[in-house]
Amino acid sequence: MIAGPVAFLVAVAVAMAVTDQEPASVLRHLYLVPTLWAALARGAVGGGSIGAVAGLLHAPVALPAVERAGLTSATLDGLLSLGLPLVAGLLVGRLVDGSRARAARLAAVLAIQRGLDGAGALDDKLLSVAGELRAALGARRLALLVGTDVRTAQIASGPVGSLVDVGSAAAFALASGQRVSSLDLRADPRVRADEPPGPTPLRALALPLVSGVGVVGVLAVEWSGDLSRSTRAAADELALHVGLAVENARLTLRQLRFAEELAEKVAAATARLRELDQAKSEFLSVVSHELRTPLTALQGFSELLLRSALPPDKAHRCLVYLHTEACALGRIVGELLDLSRIEVGRPLELRPERVDLDELMERNVELFAAEHREHRFRWTPSGPAVTLRADPDALDRMVKNLLSNAVKYSPRGGQVSLSACPAEDQPGMVELAVEDDGVGIPPEQLPRIFDKYVRVPHPETATTRGLGLGLSLVKALAEAHGGRVEVDSLPGKGSRFRLLLPGVDRDF
Amino acid sequence: MLLLSAPFEPRAAAPPRQPAGAYAPVVGAVALVAAGGQGLEWLGAGPAGFGHALASGAIHGGWLALGWLLATGAAPGWSGPVLRLGGTMVVASIVARLGPLGPLAFLLVPMVLLGEARRWPRLRAIGLGGARPSHALAGLTLGAFLGAHLLVTASRTFGYRLQSSGLSAYLGALAYDVGANALTAEWLFRGAVFSLLWRRVTFWPAAALATGLSLLRYLLDPALPHAVEARVGAVFYLGLVGLIACALRAWSGSLVPGYLAALGFFAAYRTLAP
Repeated sequence: MIAGPVAFLVAVAVAMAVTDQEPASVLRHLYLVPTLWAALARGAVGGGSIGAVAGLLHAPVALPAVERAGLTSATLDGLLSLGLPLVAGLLVGRLVDGSRARAARLAAVLAIQRGLDGAGALDDKLLSVAGELRAALGARRLALLVGTDVRTAQIASGPVGSLVDVGSAAAFALASGQRVSSLDLRADPRVRADEPPGPTPLRALALPLVSGVGVVGVLAVEWSGDLSRSTRAAADELALHVGLAVENARLTLRQLRFAEELAEKVAAATARLRELDQAKSEFLSVVSHELRTPLTALQGFSELLLRSALPPDKAHRCLVYLHTEACALGRIVGELLDLSRIEVGRPLELRPERVDLDELMERNVELFAAEHREHRFRWTPSGPAVTLRADPDALDRMVKNLLSNAVKYSPRGGQVSLSACPAEDQPGMVELAVEDDGVGIPPEQLPRIFDKYVRVPHPETATTRGLGLGLSLVKALAEAHGGRVEVDSLPGKGSRFRLLLPGVDRDF
Repeated sequence: MLLLSAPFEPRAAAPPRQPAGAYAPVVGAVALVAAGGQGLEWLGAGPAGFGHALASGAIHGGWLALGWLLATGAAPGWSGPVLRLGGTMVVASIVARLGPLGPLAFLLVPMVLLGEARRWPRLRAIGLGGARPSHALAGLTLGAFLGAHLLVTASRTFGYRLQSSGLSAYLGALAYDVGANALTAEWLFRGAVFSLLWRRVTFWPAAALATGLSLLRYLLDPALPHAVEARVGAVFYLGLVGLIACALRAWSGSLVPGYLAALGFFAAYRTLAP
């Protein structure tokens, strides 16, 4: 690109040497052509260089003329022609440089916006933007601090990473929102630099990145050597764009994260609804089965009583069966009523009174021991210090459900323990614990164990009857008493359910 | 990166300005010795040329001293180096008049200057350090080019011919450039003045002012010819040499390429005979 102007320059010089030796020759104006050509092609450096060479080529014509004729208008004109190409080349070159700088700034702004756009980690984006900015500003070193606190801000820098001192100029710009400008950092009295001033000044700018929400970071730039006014203006302009672009990128990322979280939640809720739907279907099937069993017994024995004249002992046995199945049916209907009450949000009706815990535990243990002879039941008397005020019927149902649960999930038999004592880790609460050494509950099932219709699948308990309501009712009843129920379990080792209810001095 | 790593105190005050008291005795001493030398010359007292040598040595020593004060900020301990530099220059100037080999005494001045500067690390900030061979070669080439251009122009003006006084006079003049003329110009104008200005403003104003001051120094030199064409030529060529030396100083971070450029130019200039 510079060969053309040089060739033109040489051609003009030769033409002047051959044709006209006068300092004010009209040919001298032709020196402006290659000068402006170079200025348009290479900016101030090209224009200035070719202009200087043009002056040098004209000097052997212009200077001797001064000696020959003294300072006349013609020789003065010749002397002015020495500097004119240089000045013209520099001025036009600067205009060209300014125009190119504006185009480069625009390109850098677009590159920054593209760099910060879309998905991806902000760290990587900032690194790419720092590289773009460094190239656009011709800086020796550049760093982008993004964040409102220098200790937690993300840093992207070129050419190498750098640690940030909390008392540094960049930290000051971030905290105060004021720009810091230095003509030579190493000689600046405000900067305690370890290195002495060098032969080339280290210009620096720390510009706050401002967005609609305030200062969101700092653009720190260091130049070795000159820093022109246009570069300074470019840094200001780019800092403005970077501030807005960074804030936009952060908002976009936040939006994307929010959308992802929302999608995850929707997916989880959908899955949960599917599970519930499936559980309800299973529940209906189980309920039908559970209702049909006692109903079948009721129908069968009542028909037998109606149609046959049974001896009194046989009739009595039938009546006992009828009563047992009617009670079972009543329990199922009671649980269903409680469930519907919970589902519609109506409070459970409780009639609290002082409860004899030992009597309740002994009665239930004896009842279960009589029905489940393959299990060993053990209960520990609570002693007089443990007193409880609760709805006796609700408490009885909670204990029965927990014992029933322990039995169901210990299909091979084993030990079931029942105990009551003051809760050591919960002052004012009474702990009623039911422990078994059955199949246990996998950890992933534990969070759902108190949900409605949930039955933990296990090959050994697949034939076990139940509605999947027992534990959810225990939870609802415990909470209605102002307490709660907890579980610890290990698969293959057993489970321990812990019912925590307020002691007698609590007002519930 | 200093913006991130160096502690910053926004309200820290600038150090106190250089005490003017340091400049007054130097300027006074230089003026006194130069006036004395010039007086001796007028009166015809002493050996021939002694007074002029004394005055010239004092002036050049004064430039070195002024550069030292500016570059070091007249920090305590300035008087010793300034006296030694000034004294060496005066002695070299006088010795140069004593015989054909006398000008070799000027070669002592750069050595004394380097020896003194070695004890002041902050002088590296004005470019008193080594240069890359490529930078040095670029300086020498540019100086030689300007010198060659001068010879072409001068051959059309004066009718170029070699120095009639022979090789020893030429080498003597070169030694003067090495130890006094080019050395003081680079030390004071490109080293101290340009470096200080460049820390405060951008390149072009700093280079223009430093070059303008160096041109002023030549134009005020009573030893130079006063003819218009000579002054125009001096402004043109020395202006270019000054600007090129500033550019080389900024580009390379060292005074050496500019110094070599000046020597290359003066090596050509000294071949001219009026």
